[in-house]
Amino acid sequence: MGALGVIGYGLGVIGAGLGIGLAAYGVAQGMARQPEVQGRLFTVFILGSAFVEALALIGFVVSLIVK
Amino acid sequence: MILNPLDRLGDEVNELVASFTSQPIAGSLDSVGFTQYSFWFAVAVLLMLVVLFVFKKKQAMSIVPQGTFVNGVEYVVEFVRDDMCKGLLGDSWKKHFPFIATIFLVVLANNIVGIIPGCKPGTGTISTTAALAVCSFVYFIVCGIKKKGAGGYVKSLAPAGVAFPLNALVWLIEVFSTILRLITLAVRLFCNLFAGHVVMGTFAILASLFFEPMVEAFSAMTAVQAGASILWVGILLVIYAVEIVVACVQAYVFALLSAVYVQIAESDEE
Repeated sequence: MGALGVIGYGLGVIGAGLGIGLAAYGVAQGMARQPEVQGRLFTVFILGSAFVEALALIGFVVSLIVK
Repeated sequence: MILNPLDRLGDEVNELVASFTSQPIAGSLDSVGFTQYSFWFAVAVLLMLVVLFVFKKKQAMSIVPQGTFVNGVEYVVEFVRDDMCKGLLGDSWKKHFPFIATIFLVVLANNIVGIIPGCKPGTGTISTTAALAVCSFVYFIVCGIKKKGAGGYVKSLAPAGVAFPLNALVWLIEVFSTILRLITLAVRLFCNLFAGHVVMGTFAILASLFFEPMVEAFSAMTAVQAGASILWVGILLVIYAVEIVVACVQAYVFALLSAVYVQIAESDEE
């Protein structure tokens, strides 16, 4: 059960990794095209990755709690 | 034969996770009690109040803000005002500023206190974060009802201009997602804090497990193992820095989402 949980968590993290990668991609492109909005974009990026990261963390906590 | 230090990691981590559950330090969990999390919550709120009152006193001493402390606190308050309240809520920001700022400062104080080694974050248990989420939930619903009336608010959950049978379905989905906000607010903050502390604790345990053999019996092999623990401490420091950022970002996210929900509840579309 423990090993399965770890594998499941790894699968879940793929999604979160893709999500944060996409967010960083979008922000980098936006900054390159329009450097003036850097500050605003960074806030949006942090917010977006906080949302995505929460999913990965929920998976982490669930894999720890459910034994 | 030297024991592999990793063998004991599983048990130690289980013990660590178990230590994060609420334990009463006075009273009991069933009736009225006081857990270690309530204690640290009180400490964090007390610290926050001390900082704010000292700030108030120092600020009154001169017309122009002077010193890092006064300017720092002013920067935080202005950040909440401009970034969260004015940016999102528009003209009604003055009405909601006290609530949003309170939520932000309470969560921030708790997260920061939790970062200090030996202290626990008041927000590190689902009970505290759920209570904070309920505050925010009730607040934005009351705001919506005040603005539109009870019937108006219930109706406004579904967007206008949708034909009848679909209308009911959209309304149901919206009600569901509104209730889901309560859960996501609580779970997001709790999971971030909990997972961060488990990861930090795991690396601290790793460092101590690799260091222990050298203290017990010194040899070339154990010395190499102790060298590996320097690596773990390095990773621990990096994660510690990340956790400080996470503490601030999560307080920001919690307060910002509260502001967004208030804005959604108050907005009169169509």
